[in-house]
Amino acid sequence: MNGKPQKQLDGAQLAILANRFEGISSKMGNTLLRTGRSGVLNRAKDFSCCILTADCELLAVAESLPIHVLSGPDIMARSMMEFHPELKKGDAFLHNSPYHGCSHPADHTIIMPVIDDAGTHHFTVLAKAHQADIGNSIPTTYHGTARDVYEEGALIFPAVQVLKDYETVDDIIRMCQLRIRVPEQWHGDFLAMLGSALIGERELLALGEEVGWDTLHTFTDQWFDYSEKRMSDAIAEVPKGTASAQSTHDAIPGTPDEGITVTSKVTVNPEAGRIEVDLMDNADQMNCGLNVSESCTRTAAYIGVFNSIDHTVPKNEGSLRRIELKLKDAGVVGIPQHPISCSASTTNLADRIVSATQRAMAEMGDGFGMGEVGCFCAPSTAVVSGIDPRNEKPYVNQLFLGHTAGAGAPHQDAWLTMLHVGNGGMCFIDSVELDEVYTPIHVHTRRLIPDSEGAGRHRGAPAIEVEYGPVDCRMEAGFVHDGNIHVPQGARAGLPAARSNQFKTTRNKERETLDQCSIVWIEDGETLVSIAQGGGGYGDPRTREPEQVLHDVREGIVSRQRAEEIYGVAISDDLSIDAARTNELRSA
Amino acid sequence: MRFACDTGGTFTDLIVEDDQCALTMYKASTTPDDPVKGVLDALSLAAEDRTISLSEMLGQGEMLIHGTTHAINAIITGNTARTAFLTTAGHPDILVLREGGRIEPFNFVAAYPEPYIPRALTFEVPERVNSAGDVHTPLDEAGALEIMERLKAANIEAVAVCLLWSIYNPAHELRIADLLEEHLPGVPYTLSHRLNPALREYRRASSTAIDASLKPLMGRYLGGLTERLTGAGFSGRTLVLTSQGGMLDAHDLAQKPIHAINSGPSMAPIAGRTYAELDSEAPNVIIADTGGTTYDVSLVRDGRIPLTKETWIGQPFRGHMTGFPSIDIKSVGAGGGSIAWVDAGGLLHVGPQSAGAVPGPVCYGAGGTEPTVTDACVALGYLDPSYFLGGSMKLDEAASVAAIKEYVADPLGLPVADAAAAIVSVATENMVQAISDITVDQGIDPAESVLIGGGGAAGLNSVFIARRLGCPTLIIPETGAGLSASGALMSDLTNEYRATFFTTSDEFDRDGVNGVLEALRAECQEFIDGPGAAAMSSKIEYAVEARYASQVWEIEVPLPMDRVESEDQLDTLAGAFHAMHERIFAIRDPGSVIEYVGWTATARCHLRDGGPGRLSAGEGHDVSGTRKVYFANAGEVDAAVYDFEKMMTGEEHFGPAIIESPFTTVVADAATRFKRSASGSLVMRP
Repeated sequence: MNGKPQKQLDGAQLAILANRFEGISSKMGNTLLRTGRSGVLNRAKDFSCCILTADCELLAVAESLPIHVLSGPDIMARSMMEFHPELKKGDAFLHNSPYHGCSHPADHTIIMPVIDDAGTHHFTVLAKAHQADIGNSIPTTYHGTARDVYEEGALIFPAVQVLKDYETVDDIIRMCQLRIRVPEQWHGDFLAMLGSALIGERELLALGEEVGWDTLHTFTDQWFDYSEKRMSDAIAEVPKGTASAQSTHDAIPGTPDEGITVTSKVTVNPEAGRIEVDLMDNADQMNCGLNVSESCTRTAAYIGVFNSIDHTVPKNEGSLRRIELKLKDAGVVGIPQHPISCSASTTNLADRIVSATQRAMAEMGDGFGMGEVGCFCAPSTAVVSGIDPRNEKPYVNQLFLGHTAGAGAPHQDAWLTMLHVGNGGMCFIDSVELDEVYTPIHVHTRRLIPDSEGAGRHRGAPAIEVEYGPVDCRMEAGFVHDGNIHVPQGARAGLPAARSNQFKTTRNKERETLDQCSIVWIEDGETLVSIAQGGGGYGDPRTREPEQVLHDVREGIVSRQRAEEIYGVAISDDLSIDAARTNELRSA
Repeated sequence: MRFACDTGGTFTDLIVEDDQCALTMYKASTTPDDPVKGVLDALSLAAEDRTISLSEMLGQGEMLIHGTTHAINAIITGNTARTAFLTTAGHPDILVLREGGRIEPFNFVAAYPEPYIPRALTFEVPERVNSAGDVHTPLDEAGALEIMERLKAANIEAVAVCLLWSIYNPAHELRIADLLEEHLPGVPYTLSHRLNPALREYRRASSTAIDASLKPLMGRYLGGLTERLTGAGFSGRTLVLTSQGGMLDAHDLAQKPIHAINSGPSMAPIAGRTYAELDSEAPNVIIADTGGTTYDVSLVRDGRIPLTKETWIGQPFRGHMTGFPSIDIKSVGAGGGSIAWVDAGGLLHVGPQSAGAVPGPVCYGAGGTEPTVTDACVALGYLDPSYFLGGSMKLDEAASVAAIKEYVADPLGLPVADAAAAIVSVATENMVQAISDITVDQGIDPAESVLIGGGGAAGLNSVFIARRLGCPTLIIPETGAGLSASGALMSDLTNEYRATFFTTSDEFDRDGVNGVLEALRAECQEFIDGPGAAAMSSKIEYAVEARYASQVWEIEVPLPMDRVESEDQLDTLAGAFHAMHERIFAIRDPGSVIEYVGWTATARCHLRDGGPGRLSAGEGHDVSGTRKVYFANAGEVDAAVYDFEKMMTGEEHFGPAIIESPFTTVVADAATRFKRSASGSLVMRP
């Protein structure tokens, strides 16, 4: 390629430029991952980096967790341009307003226009990272019971300038340092995001210089068209139909007693290559932190669709054109209005949107959709805080001590360590040893629980038990656990997973059940017990390959009794399949 | 006389270095059922070439250096020992949960990996040491004895023992070892704190499990190799290459066989470093080794070969982590055999599918139907169909052209030549991305680097790769087609020792650190005085793994001292960390506390002085003056054809040109200048 504008790029040139953009976004992501300070960033990979066109269309995304990436950056970029109509080279903005496209206030974002020497705005880069703390009224970034944004207490930055002519605007940094717990950690993450955005900007300027801006803009148009065609082809494989599915979040303070039911109505039109997800039939926004921001509502619906079809379709503005969403203004899922709180917007209720959507997709036919993934956020994933007796310093961080949650899919058993559906399994699991160094805790147990999986032709993940407690101190732990009552359902005759739960073990070794949405003190000598659940199965368990059932029995995931009762597979004492009896059981 | 023999997937490469340092290169077929046979076959070729008997030749040999894929193959094919995993009670799922993480979050077709050792062979030892190294729950002897009985009943062939915090207090692991010696005599075992004393239980457990599972097999293999070489007349020293880019005596490696996993490929950067130093001043070297199915990239930064902590067997998150640092090699599925295809949206892809060695590219005429990168190179005139592998294999050009037309040119609406050029361009871009990934990870700017093209197919597009990366110099060594084997001749006898000791820059524990460094020094010295006794020279290199407070990913910083005494030294250390962090990640945070986590010392015994020998020139072949080749920018041109082996030293040439040898073909377009240097390498300015 030379610097001259081109009318039309061929399939090879298209592939090469797509690769270049992908390379730049993954370079941004790599920088952020490896330099980030808070555990939620560098262990849960709770961050994202992407490149948008100057028209605010999503172009390229570094591989990061799904709930961050599909929608939101577009809205945030538009709000940047609205609030700062005269963008200059070297400007960057801090953005975390869920009322202007951010996922939730904990996701601080650096958004930076890529402007050439002539002053033309060509692209926008965005680096977003979940913070350990954002100055909420309580030491957690998921304030499940916040009546509104005021009780939530988060500092909200609707595209506030933090970089001018490549120099940081220190006023904003000083404000944050006075209102955010563990200010050094926040500042470290801020620098990591800034570094990531600057790397993206530098690389894009170099690319534009090398191949010519006109060629790049030709590329983006063609790349969107290509992606749209791939999407339309993928949808054409799905049987035509309309289906509704529901998924219910357990009740917590601020919600109705029966919890919050999300309804997703999906219509697939394979001839037109289009899918519609209708989320209008849902409750109004509520006085709690579970309301799902516009960004997360849209993204959750998209994930439900993309989890259900050919995974190789590129995810960008082009493929998203083929999904039509219907959202409710001021809905609990939809477009919540300021000052309602969206504190836990990326996880709890958003997961229910995905679950309902992918189960509705499963109704279209075998081979599509997925079971419900296990619920967030068990005490094994709590935000813990206190004073570390080893150095007398305060600490606050989110643990990722153990999770499973994966659901059965059309062609495969669960991916075991999904965490929750919006994370897509990208999260790391903490090393016990590392957590015991970082945090004054002792981890007594971390083990899978037999017979807790959602059974199916392809089974869900089993649940996991984690027991831990403070060492020589007391510890405050915050979590918003779902799935105690409304368990993850299976798809296409797959069965649900077992319930989640949470306890405290007292010094007298008695187990007390805790409220599922809690901020609790655990005293020295006490422990917190977390039962984080698995996911639902896909397809009738009595059609599961007997060899796979046998394998689960040998591995201690499924008992012989359950193999017989649920899967219809008889296993004899020497751990082999009793074929005759299995036939009998399965033909009954 | 020294022998370097690298067993690869398809070929066993042998380089013989005679007493005048002249090199000769041979290739024999690899024999997967009995890899030692391939080694002996290659040696027999060398003996024939010298018209002496094998035993006569071996009798003159002082050293045989071996790179082997035996360990990695056993893991991939599931032929390792029936191994038990002994872990702390309450934590049975360390190998199941791993460290979480995933690639392709929307892909629900790829399966979650099975644990390296099944849960059914996992045993929970009633004990617990806490993070301070104190015994939280004493080892229950009765419970441990019961486990011994269950191991016997389960016919266990090897045992991996990894208990929490054994790195701070190994008493319980040591007691388990006593019990194993007593109750399961002769069954090999591995203790985690001895093998890999590193924080993070999954990585340590995984190392331990892999190592134990390889012990019976690698003990047999390395024992058999030594025995059969001796039987054939060899009385020299048998050394085996390690994943860390060094070598160990075969019987020492049999004690910790996990280090044999990346045995061969780890040598490419050693060779690349040497060849780069001979012909270039650039501080950094990028080494690309092109095979039939994979493209392996490694680096040299300021003379040092960077290691990665995350070595995966198989894909990240879908395979197993070795838990050991190894030479940082990025391997992507891109090679001569990568298949070109056009998707439903009209986008050209090259790979990741590969035609492999069988059936191979369409032009091999062995049943391949889909066009590959090699086919594109035939169609473009880069490869001479009658002089492939020195003429030992004829290529079917017409079949290549037909396949490209059907699968790529027609779907894209391009002429065949343009389609073939596009295939090479996309393959080039895939390779460039692989290089970009690893250089970014290690903070290296390709513009300040020299590119080394290794592997038989490297010359076909390395000029394009170098240009795209902005590398000012490309070097194709004369032994490039056997880069790993030639690296083996340059490598040192090395052993690495590690310790975990946590301290911070604001409360630096000098006595603690100096104690750790002294203990590591003593271990290195023991190695230098033992296996390294015959070395020309020896040295110990120290490094520390460090990070900013509350980061979780450490970076390795060479330690510019062997003790930390003064404030100045502490500042120097901190300065080195800040500089490395900025180099890799573009930012530094001088106000932040630095956490020092892991300490390593490497004993390096240099067995031989002098540079690499020169390849003895073969007979060469007659080359006609020019050949028609096609380039993406210039279209069809007449390219001068040169014989690599007969090129005059120092004479500058200009593209378009093709430079051929029996082992490789190098393509230079019109913008390229090149010459053969005194080292024998082709030095190119893209």
